[in-house]
Amino acid sequence: MMMPLIEMESVEHAFADGSIGLRGCTLSLAQGRRHALLGANGAGKTTLMLHLNGLLRPTAGHLRWRGQAYDYSRSGLAALRSGIGLVFQNPDRQLISALVEEDVAFGPLNLGLDDATVRARVATALDAVGLGGFGRRPVHHLSFGQKKRVCIAGVLAMEPEALLLDEPMAGLDAPMQAELEALLDRLATRGVTIVLSTHDVDFAYRWADQIHMMAAGRCIASTTAQELASHDEALRAAGQRLPQALALHAELAKRGLLPAGAAPRSVDAVLAALRAPTTHEQTGELQT
Amino acid sequence: MRIDAAAYACHWQCVTPAAKALFALAGIAAAWLARSPGTLAVLALLSMFATLAGARVPVRTYFAIAAAPLGFLLLSCLTMLATPAEGGGWRWAPELLPTVAHIALRSLAALAAVLGLVLTTPMPDLLALLRRLRVPELLLELMALCYRMLFVLRHAWDEGNTAQAARLGHSGLRQRWRSMGLLAGQMAVQVWQRAAALQLAADARGCRGSLRFLPSAFPHARRQLALSLLASTLLLAIALRDSA
Repeated sequence: MMMPLIEMESVEHAFADGSIGLRGCTLSLAQGRRHALLGANGAGKTTLMLHLNGLLRPTAGHLRWRGQAYDYSRSGLAALRSGIGLVFQNPDRQLISALVEEDVAFGPLNLGLDDATVRARVATALDAVGLGGFGRRPVHHLSFGQKKRVCIAGVLAMEPEALLLDEPMAGLDAPMQAELEALLDRLATRGVTIVLSTHDVDFAYRWADQIHMMAAGRCIASTTAQELASHDEALRAAGQRLPQALALHAELAKRGLLPAGAAPRSVDAVLAALRAPTTHEQTGELQT
Repeated sequence: MRIDAAAYACHWQCVTPAAKALFALAGIAAAWLARSPGTLAVLALLSMFATLAGARVPVRTYFAIAAAPLGFLLLSCLTMLATPAEGGGWRWAPELLPTVAHIALRSLAALAAVLGLVLTTPMPDLLALLRRLRVPELLLELMALCYRMLFVLRHAWDEGNTAQAARLGHSGLRQRWRSMGLLAGQMAVQVWQRAAALQLAADARGCRGSLRFLPSAFPHARRQLALSLLASTLLLAIALRDSA
């Protein structure tokens, strides 16, 4: 079995004011997969991400990166953060420079790369997020969605093996969400391990390979997206309902309109299956 | 905000800041060297012409931004024209008019030169120039962060202000003052929170204590510097011919 890229073992975290952020969280994140952290507001998703990036240290428990315990020394953290990039929820809290290219260059420069390499990486990262030609723009003249993409470019330019995104869809309109999803798909195809937090169960079910559910600082269940239906109780504990595609498919299968078995991953895919002339003869997993 | 917008929209945004700073410095030096009012007026007009016609800064923006220093200049000139009267009190001194006009024109020429630089050079380019001139890094980091935070906090202030107005927070003078005080107090907390968040975000991208910036690239810098040197020499020549 392949070694997980990041592991958390019984991680606990108590904040300075005494409130509890994480309670005995155990999690395993496989390399090259799409992971979704699913939970209601205040479930501990952001706290968990800050632990994965080494910005917070656990009060108890351990984290491992490629099988090695996290090294919280200065050089250890620098190495860790060059491998695990974190994109924050609010772009105005991440963008540190006034110019787009300056901000995207911030991380690579901290890695000690030379100017020519940094320029090449900045150009590649901006192209990847669809902002080629925006390098000389001031960040305060950009829209919220563009700022978010600059934040992602700023982390991509560090060429991390794992990309953490805290509520990436928050505040984006539908077309921008679709664009961001396409970008995440491209990154996943390139082999980047993606971990994102969300409270949108439909998106998590449609997009992720692995879904990790959280509630009240606990990691209550981890499952593949295909097996989400069998975690009804964990979903409810995480403040979620069954994905609409699953519920719709179950109802249609009950009425004999679609074959039972593996369900499509989105409502659009359910509708496509319903419209397909050979629906009743189909067996096995339906494509999204 | 208007200065910032003008600097990003002008036609000289891609001109190396060194060339623009050289021309502005030459304009200030020429204003200091020139003696006759006519020459000073020509110098002011040349700097103004370069900004308006060369960099295509809109006339309206130019005069809207120049209004504050021009008002200050006008007030100073009026103050200089008022002098103590012999029997006590104050009187107008028309005999001082040539001296005051001379000072006003010199100030105007220097102002036009400075405006030529600030209205065509975005702040990050100015900071990059200062970095090349070996201004202490700590000071530049503070300037860069203050500049960035200025827009973030302005946005937060506007949002708070709108939210207060929506809940009748500005319906009277008393409420307006109270709302402003509350917002100012809330902004203090926000500044602290945002500063902590920025530090966290910088740490997440491997920040090791100091901010590092990529030097801006200006592919035609050499040609632009040569042209600026030529124009600067012209300004200084006009001033020197006058002072000889």
